[in-house]
Amino acid sequence: MGILITGADGYLGRRAVSALLETTGDEFVLAVRAADAAELAAKRDRLDAELGAAGHGRVTVVGADLTRDDALADVDPRRVTAIVHAAAVTRFSVDRETAQRVNVDGTVRLARFARRCPDLRRFTLLSTLYTAGRHTGDVPERRHEDAGFVNFYEWSKWRAEQHLFDSGLPLSVLRLPTVIAEDDGGTVVQYNAFHNTLKLFYYGLLSLMPGEPSTPLALGTAAFTSAAVAHLVRPEVPAGIYHVTPDPAQTLTLGQLIDLTFDVYERDDNFRRRNLMRPIYCDRQSFDDMVDIARRLKGGPIEQAVASVAPFGTQLYLHKTFRNEALRAAWPGYAAPDPLALADAVCDHLVASRWGRQPVTRQLEGAL
Amino acid sequence: MSNVYVSDFVYALGSRKTHVTESEAAGRLLSSAEDLESAGFAWHHLCEPGESAYGLAEAVTAQLAESGRLTGIDAIVYATCLPLNGNIGDPGEFARTRDVKHLMDFPASRLQADFGLTDAVVLGLNQQACTAMPGSVRLAGALLAAEPSWRKVLCVTADRFPDGAIYEQAYNLISDGGAACLVGREPEGFRLVSAHQITNGALGQATDDETVGSYFSFTHRLFRESLDRAGLTVADVDWVVTQNTNDKAWQILARLLGVPLDRVWFPSMPDAGHIISADNIVNLAQLIASGQLRPGQRVVLMMAGFGLNWQSLILEAV
Repeated sequence: MGILITGADGYLGRRAVSALLETTGDEFVLAVRAADAAELAAKRDRLDAELGAAGHGRVTVVGADLTRDDALADVDPRRVTAIVHAAAVTRFSVDRETAQRVNVDGTVRLARFARRCPDLRRFTLLSTLYTAGRHTGDVPERRHEDAGFVNFYEWSKWRAEQHLFDSGLPLSVLRLPTVIAEDDGGTVVQYNAFHNTLKLFYYGLLSLMPGEPSTPLALGTAAFTSAAVAHLVRPEVPAGIYHVTPDPAQTLTLGQLIDLTFDVYERDDNFRRRNLMRPIYCDRQSFDDMVDIARRLKGGPIEQAVASVAPFGTQLYLHKTFRNEALRAAWPGYAAPDPLALADAVCDHLVASRWGRQPVTRQLEGAL
Repeated sequence: MSNVYVSDFVYALGSRKTHVTESEAAGRLLSSAEDLESAGFAWHHLCEPGESAYGLAEAVTAQLAESGRLTGIDAIVYATCLPLNGNIGDPGEFARTRDVKHLMDFPASRLQADFGLTDAVVLGLNQQACTAMPGSVRLAGALLAAEPSWRKVLCVTADRFPDGAIYEQAYNLISDGGAACLVGREPEGFRLVSAHQITNGALGQATDDETVGSYFSFTHRLFRESLDRAGLTVADVDWVVTQNTNDKAWQILARLLGVPLDRVWFPSMPDAGHIISADNIVNLAQLIASGQLRPGQRVVLMMAGFGLNWQSLILEAV
């Protein structure tokens, strides 16, 4: 009997597998997307190497493209006791068709498979806090009504949730924060809109900040998030909706983040010499106009970077407080990263590594 | 500077008017014509091969002479965006003779001689890029403050791009052009309320994207500091006369600064694009010509340029 994990070779999927190997004695079926046998073999080798001894004899890697109806033909449903659905397109800029095909239709197919698993005790969807879409104020750990969405990523993950809520499966939904680092040390491996925005400021390519300084930001680490997954999929933890996020009182605001970011930048000689100014917070229309300008600056770095930031910018005007009472009740010993210390460490790493373009030593980081 | 006045705004453009699509076809642009048109650009003016920057300076000065205003000039401040337009000598002669005097044939001196301004001393200003015109007015005001016997300063700016140049800078469509005005003690035109400049030399070799990237924060700062220096608030401003840049840029800035968009004035942009350091004068002249300006109204002139420099003037209509 084992746990089926989709997207097992993805950024969070890999880390969730590692955490689960440590905390359970289960066997695992790791579903990865592969175009052919060669790609599947390469992914299998990579996973074997990353998981090391912990995975020996406990892990089976199978090819599974959830955009195809026969995606899980190689998996015996009688052997699956739990499913962790991590496969998704997580780009904020994903187009509607891709989001529907991968995030919605893929979930529908997986749910269909799940219904064929006679001993399934838990289906866990890795979702996002931003399935709340345009909701503002307190956001409870409940099923969300449709309040509209800022991008097709949010919308598709919400649609996936809705399908599963109505599926009758033994469902847990883990709504994850924006992952900005590997762990509290601030090392960044996977870059997203968060890092791209800070990059624009460092290089003096953007001087407008979308959003309001008081907007809370739900930020986390891969370590925190995968530890949450490993804990919350345990059979003894009640199924439910969980916001995997720091307590509201421990949440950074946008204004705090920007101030802290520039405090870190100004410790760097290269940045300080250029006398760049802190950004100006602008209204939504102005940011939309800036995005429109950037779209016309073809071939330059602004166009590409703003394109990654733009689909999320509107959220920075929508104050949300993600409640996490259910998480705290289900995971009494949980410890979310200290938001200020984490942001400081991440900015330090970004500057030292120039956004991944140069190697980082701790000595160098300390010197900044 | 409360007893210094700025008046007699004149300008001249390169004689060949060309549509942005034609310039795209001719390889004079970096962006597509479509992108520049979406930013509000349409036409621009280029000098013909035999037409010089000095010719543009001559043209604007001639307008002042013809109107009888070119009298009692104590100084000429001759401003160029491109330093190479501050020499009308032939670099080829220097190459042939190795005599540096061919690199010091100054247009300001030529202008003084050509217009018989024999009592005027000359000054050149050529390291403020597109902000050189407001810079020259500021300098003229300071000269009048320092020289009690002086009555009037002629400020001239004139630039043309070298043959073969790209006529696009920082995503702006460029026109060759010149402009002039008079700065004096007689209460006419506008009272010079204040002038302000920010220079960030560390961005002296900024890329086009860095220039765009820093535009909003520094322009915002320039405007705020300009008002502070003058002891004014946004409510005291009636018009903001800008440079000709992407029309959405000032839609954004107007919101950020609390200035009504219908008071942001850059009507020459579709016809001429960014006229190097003459934008402010061209747009101010067109504001006067529109008949909308009233005595006592305050106008803020704003320019950004390489260097990087940002300069402003606050004027009060007489």
